[in-house]
Amino acid sequence: RHPYDTARGTIALGVLLTLVLAALVRLLAG
Amino acid sequence: MDMLLDLTVRWAHFIAGIIWVGHNYSSVVQRPSWQPLRAEELSDDRSPRFQALLNREHGFFRWASVVTWCAGLLMLWRQGWLSDALALQGSLAPIGVGMYIGTLMMLNVWLVLWPHQKKVLGLVPASIDERLRCSRITHLSSRTNTMLSIPLLFFMATGSHGGLL
Repeated sequence: RHPYDTARGTIALGVLLTLVLAALVRLLAG
Repeated sequence: MDMLLDLTVRWAHFIAGIIWVGHNYSSVVQRPSWQPLRAEELSDDRSPRFQALLNREHGFFRWASVVTWCAGLLMLWRQGWLSDALALQGSLAPIGVGMYIGTLMMLNVWLVLWPHQKKVLGLVPASIDERLRCSRITHLSSRTNTMLSIPLLFFMATGSHGGLL
């Protein structure tokens, strides 16, 4: 199944993307 | 007067954003798991009244996305923060990331979701097979915005309460 096919998968991807982007911002712009 | 304008723009940003993302979240709550649409579930009510009703409902959150985006840009511009946010400079990097995510979400609504949704809803003539194919695309497009709203809200929060990142 595609991660978007469940609410849980969608939220998990969103949280994962948040962590990745936050780490990048901290690394590059912090 | 300037303060009143800034407050009004910020207020509009919040209200329009809640209408837009709230509509998206309500669809997740109503249909948490993907269920393929069946041909008999496609609405075929061609009455002008029903079509206008559908158009208004979808138009409401579609235009809310434009108001949200414009108000967000206007806020940054009036504060003199727009160029640094665009360049992801220093303390404005978080809100800049939020701005880019919000822009992607708005473009997704207008350029991916809406053209396919028009076929699913029967606002644009399409075969049953085409409408069923489009319903999968609208699902993925809508959930992309659900997913993107999570980092968007994070960067909005951290951007206005600086120093956390």
